[in-house]
Amino acid sequence: MNKQEDINKLIDDALNSADDIKRAAVKPFLLTRIHARMNKGKESLWEKAGWLIGRPAVAFTGLCMIILINITVVLVNKPSAADYAVERSSQQQVDEFSYTVATIYEIDNTQQNDK
Amino acid sequence: MDQPELITQLQLGDESAFTKLVDEYQDMVYNTALGIVQQADDADDITQEVFIQVYQSISSFKGDSKFSTWLYRIAVSKALDHEKKKKRKKRFGFVQSLFGGDGEEQVHPVEFDHPGIQAEKKESAAALFRALKQIPDNQRIVFTLHKLEGQGNREIAAIMNTSLQAVESLMSRAKASLKKELNDYYQKNIT
Repeated sequence: MNKQEDINKLIDDALNSADDIKRAAVKPFLLTRIHARMNKGKESLWEKAGWLIGRPAVAFTGLCMIILINITVVLVNKPSAADYAVERSSQQQVDEFSYTVATIYEIDNTQQNDK
Repeated sequence: MDQPELITQLQLGDESAFTKLVDEYQDMVYNTALGIVQQADDADDITQEVFIQVYQSISSFKGDSKFSTWLYRIAVSKALDHEKKKKRKKRFGFVQSLFGGDGEEQVHPVEFDHPGIQAEKKESAAALFRALKQIPDNQRIVFTLHKLEGQGNREIAAIMNTSLQAVESLMSRAKASLKKELNDYYQKNIT
């Protein structure tokens, strides 16, 4: 028998090796372990949320959205030339009709000079 | 308690029905997972995950397929997910080891010794399980469900949500792929 024939026999043996396989037994107390795992799952809700937020795709999307919101807010609130003109004219009005209140320092000096 | 009644009781949240379900189907789920992942501890983890999923989503079972088919589907899907996670972990471990970490120690690939194989066939079966790891997932699932779980093509088609012809084709491709893998292995290891 040559090498290839030996190999062919080994291949057939391997393919047929699982023909009369018996089922493996599960480790004892499976139900207890399932219940323990279910309870553990209930406790770690915050862990699950943290895990979700910590996922690169979610974190990156969140970061992009924050940057986008910031850019939008800046662009929407950017003052136009008209707003600037209105602001400037109102500032001029304030300057023109403003009543200058003397500081305590000036009042004190005036009182001393009167004496 | 017959099966439809068991499912109704489960849908009502009956704890004793869940205990009965685990007792009845644990071997089926465990052995399906074991055939796919080839690790006793991993298969045990998957079995727990499958029953938790069943408990949480039993209300979505409408009875369109057999309950065992639905259960097999969950078991196969969980086992494949587990394998993907393990592969990711292995890749991450490799990257960690490049940077001087001990990532390589996190995964220990060992030769699988199925406890249900007869002593005189252990060596041949080890070669078969090694080859099974090398072939595409869908071929592996078909072969595993047929050889290890004794499922017929019609049932496998229902589990995999595909046609009978597709299962027959997958089975024939699985055998061809396994022959090729085994041939390569024996060519290298037989002097």
